[in-house]
Amino acid sequence: MSEFNRRDFLRITGVGTGAVVFSCYISPELALGQEKQSIGSILHEGISLLNPLKFVYLDPITGNMTIWAHRSEMGQGIKSTLAAVLVDEMEADWSRVTVKQADADAEAFGIAFPYAASLPKELPLDQSEPPIVRGEDAQFADSSRSMAAYFDAFRAFGAGVRMALSMAAARHFNVDLSQIEARQHKVSVKGGGRSVDYGDPRLLFHLNKLNEEKKLPPDTDAILAYRKPPSEWRYIGKQMPFIDAQDMVNGKAVYGADVEVPGGLLRAKMLTAMIVRCPVANGSLKSFNPEEAMKVPGVKHVVAVLPQGVFPGGVGAAFNPHAGVAVIAENTWAAWQGRRALVNNNSVQWDLGPHASYDSAAFRDEMKSSTSQPGKVMRNKGDVDAAFGSAAKTVEAHYHIPHLAQAPMEPPVAISVYDNGTWDIWAPSQGPELLQHYVGVALLEPNVVKQLVWNVEDRGAFTAAQVAAGDWQRQDDFNKTLAQALGVDEKTLLAMRDDLKKRVRSSVRVHVPLLGGGFGRKSKPDYAMEAAFLARQFPGTPIRVQWTREDDIKFSYYNAAAGQYWKAGLGGDGLPTALLWRGAATSFFGTLFPAGPDVFQKARQAFHNGGTDGYLSAIERAHGFEDMPYDVPNIRIENCVAKNHIRTGWMRSVANIYHAFATCSFADEMANAAGRDSKDYLLDLIGKGHRYRQKEFEDQGVKAYDNNLFPVEKRTYLLKGVEKLIIPQYPPDTRRLRAVVERVAQESGWNQKVQQYKGMKGRGLGIAAHRSFLSYVAIVADVSLNDKNELTVNEIWGVIDCGRAVNPDRVAAQMEGGIVYGLSYALLGEITCKNGAVEQNNFDDYPVARMNQVPRMIHTIVQDPPREVADEYDDKVVPPTGVGEPPTPAVAPAIANAIVAAGGPRIREIPFLRQVTVL
Amino acid sequence: MPIFQLHVNGVMRTVDVDGNMPLLWVLRDVLGLKGTKFGCGVAQCGACTVHLDGHAVRSCITDCGVAALAHITTIEGQSPQIQACQQAWIDLGVPQCGFCQPGQIMTASAMLKDIPNPTDEQIDAYMRGNICRCGTYPRIRAAIHQVAGNGSKS
Repeated sequence: MSEFNRRDFLRITGVGTGAVVFSCYISPELALGQEKQSIGSILHEGISLLNPLKFVYLDPITGNMTIWAHRSEMGQGIKSTLAAVLVDEMEADWSRVTVKQADADAEAFGIAFPYAASLPKELPLDQSEPPIVRGEDAQFADSSRSMAAYFDAFRAFGAGVRMALSMAAARHFNVDLSQIEARQHKVSVKGGGRSVDYGDPRLLFHLNKLNEEKKLPPDTDAILAYRKPPSEWRYIGKQMPFIDAQDMVNGKAVYGADVEVPGGLLRAKMLTAMIVRCPVANGSLKSFNPEEAMKVPGVKHVVAVLPQGVFPGGVGAAFNPHAGVAVIAENTWAAWQGRRALVNNNSVQWDLGPHASYDSAAFRDEMKSSTSQPGKVMRNKGDVDAAFGSAAKTVEAHYHIPHLAQAPMEPPVAISVYDNGTWDIWAPSQGPELLQHYVGVALLEPNVVKQLVWNVEDRGAFTAAQVAAGDWQRQDDFNKTLAQALGVDEKTLLAMRDDLKKRVRSSVRVHVPLLGGGFGRKSKPDYAMEAAFLARQFPGTPIRVQWTREDDIKFSYYNAAAGQYWKAGLGGDGLPTALLWRGAATSFFGTLFPAGPDVFQKARQAFHNGGTDGYLSAIERAHGFEDMPYDVPNIRIENCVAKNHIRTGWMRSVANIYHAFATCSFADEMANAAGRDSKDYLLDLIGKGHRYRQKEFEDQGVKAYDNNLFPVEKRTYLLKGVEKLIIPQYPPDTRRLRAVVERVAQESGWNQKVQQYKGMKGRGLGIAAHRSFLSYVAIVADVSLNDKNELTVNEIWGVIDCGRAVNPDRVAAQMEGGIVYGLSYALLGEITCKNGAVEQNNFDDYPVARMNQVPRMIHTIVQDPPREVADEYDDKVVPPTGVGEPPTPAVAPAIANAIVAAGGPRIREIPFLRQVTVL
Repeated sequence: MPIFQLHVNGVMRTVDVDGNMPLLWVLRDVLGLKGTKFGCGVAQCGACTVHLDGHAVRSCITDCGVAALAHITTIEGQSPQIQACQQAWIDLGVPQCGFCQPGQIMTASAMLKDIPNPTDEQIDAYMRGNICRCGTYPRIRAAIHQVAGNGSKS
């Protein structure tokens, strides 16, 4: 490693081979360890083809470029989009660029906003700004964060590459840099016709010279000034290439189950495993008899999956797999037949454990009771009780949302081969280094308390803002508790952490194919852990664990079951003077951390402010709960208790699913109670709109608003009296919410249609709007409900404001798909449990939306933020924010509201098929 | 185990497998034709759709022995309708994750062979057996209409 300079955003390696690798990154280890002054970006010496995981590699022979896509591609288009941002700013020729999917590499890919990288050295460390997604989970394609976290950094990085190549050209032609222009893989002297290719050896020679002369990299301010003006963009904000489209339609695209393990004839032939799993969370394997399965032709082995001492998957067992017995065979069909033989002959005996009496129907009632009692107050404004006392009218409602399974089209699958103490794993994973972390720890550190050393952080990892929010205090509390539990001092604790991370990262290599959908399911690496456990039992033999659809439905990490209670006191004008909201939902943190002993609860509280057993984490509370957008003088939001009995995870848009369903349905209930038009009333609830301030949250008791990890207020530092930006603001802003509502009303012809439908029986419009993952979406649904109570969703309009739309066609595609996903769970989605086990099996009893159930017309509109909002940013443009998840949450309430408008029942529970017929 | 001769994408292939092994697994595990996808195993999702003598079938429930009686075409194979669909799918940016699209294209191309100009109702009837969790249905519909050379028809 070389000298680090925190003002440098870009580093360039000129090496003896002539290869050039451009990198820009912050390593968490460096940020946390002894080289903590090094936040910024670094030069990685000696990088060669053997270790090319640093974003961009310029081949010295051909001049072609390779870009490593560090975020997983699961249909959101990020592989193409981030590469196109780089190519655009680099002025590379797309036909000479190859994009490859990167392996897990936690040290390579955490990048700060370029402004953060340009912090002056003299700034105290605790005021500096680590990357939004630090190296730990920089590859975690989750929470719709890829573009928000990486667009600015990639723009600057691409501009830096172009600038470095231009500087080399200036040196070569012996002209000033201002005389050089770069176009399509060539740098030329302006007007003179003299030009060289990016791959020209003379250019590489001068790059090396500049590097030796310490003129590279340029400083960050110079790079930022070198970025293209938007008018010169070729791809950004325009039509972008779609890298895998051709392979996807001709069957050549490689997904998880399609991977061929390299090694050819030298390798043992890959075997396929199918696993019979304990149907109840946390249940364990008592015994099994392999005899019947071994009779099936092609079956080779029948073995237990979990090693001795590993907690079976379930509540509080993080990403451990359920207990299981694997049938390992020559091919998929033989494994499947072998598994059938085990099941049919009752060859496996389970101890079903503590959740064997869980019944989701009873839990539904439990949630209703829970939200009928006061909970923990999470946000309070004014005096709700007093306002209820003087209200002209009160309205109240209970809502219920069931467990939901993500059901990506590609069922989970993973391949692992174990050789000489190391594992290679191929898995369609949304979080390659999260997979590496959890699987590696399970393989190498059996002691569950010692596993927690991974979560130890020191003070240097925290910014002043995080300290103020109490994050460091929670971390310190956990560090001390863990040190005590292990009987070591804190210095030893840090050394143990570093040692564990080093062992894991050197022992487990994670390779990522395309994902056949993710939707949050493939953020959880339990299936890869199964493959790794099995591979260890058969060194040298690649083992593929293939899940069936039944496995996927029965062993998901389900979106939370939730009860939501709302009460409003309406004034004489029909608008609320007071709102009370009590929410209870099974937090996914209850799956990540056991309820006891204490050290696990401390770990939970330190990890993203994860809350306490039975209650929501800061992440879930920021999904439309604490940031409930209605402008009402008295508000109280309470979190009521809900305990986990099956694995809870997250599904596209997560807690927004249950929060938005209640919030947006209740707006309509109030409008109906007031006898008002639903759209006009919603706009009145939102008010004229304002930008939420950090202080406003704090004044209302919201101490640590998560905001998808982004700051509510912009962060700056003073340099010689001049305010410099570190990271811009991402506040909840109801001006933007209001604007998408107004636009969707206009696009759908709301006013005219409402009049038109008044005289018609069984036709109605519904509206809903919600902010999530920093973006704003409004939906209008047009439905028919006939005399037979049969529902048709005729048409849907969706407007999204996601700041700058970097890849407009993929934004539209995510809107279309996210709307279909929302419609699907709204009408059809429900996972139920009896005796602790999931009752559904496949798409016949866990139906999902099909072509004929989806409106033929889904209109999507990508809207720029209001001018007055954009003007509050330094460059007058609102930065890009989430797109994958935001389209989904408002769909269910928009349809529910439309059903009421069509003369149907007020539906307060998902799925709607319980109350209307879905053909 | 019995030996079958399978006529796949114009080539005769000999396989030695359990006669109950569904065609899907013969294609994927034995012949290495991995464009045909496994989504549900019970003919509920359509990801495994192939053509037998030009008709769309779900290969996950089609016994190898039955398939041996017909000409099998997979997404790796060719027909004018398959190629037209592939092009339309690219033109309109249909795929998201792409996993279900080989099956969607195999069903759509079989439909277009029988019904060159399908109405929206006919598209619903044929395509309702193919699930897409990314929700690309509106673009699939548009792509089918593009291949048929007509606009949306009801």
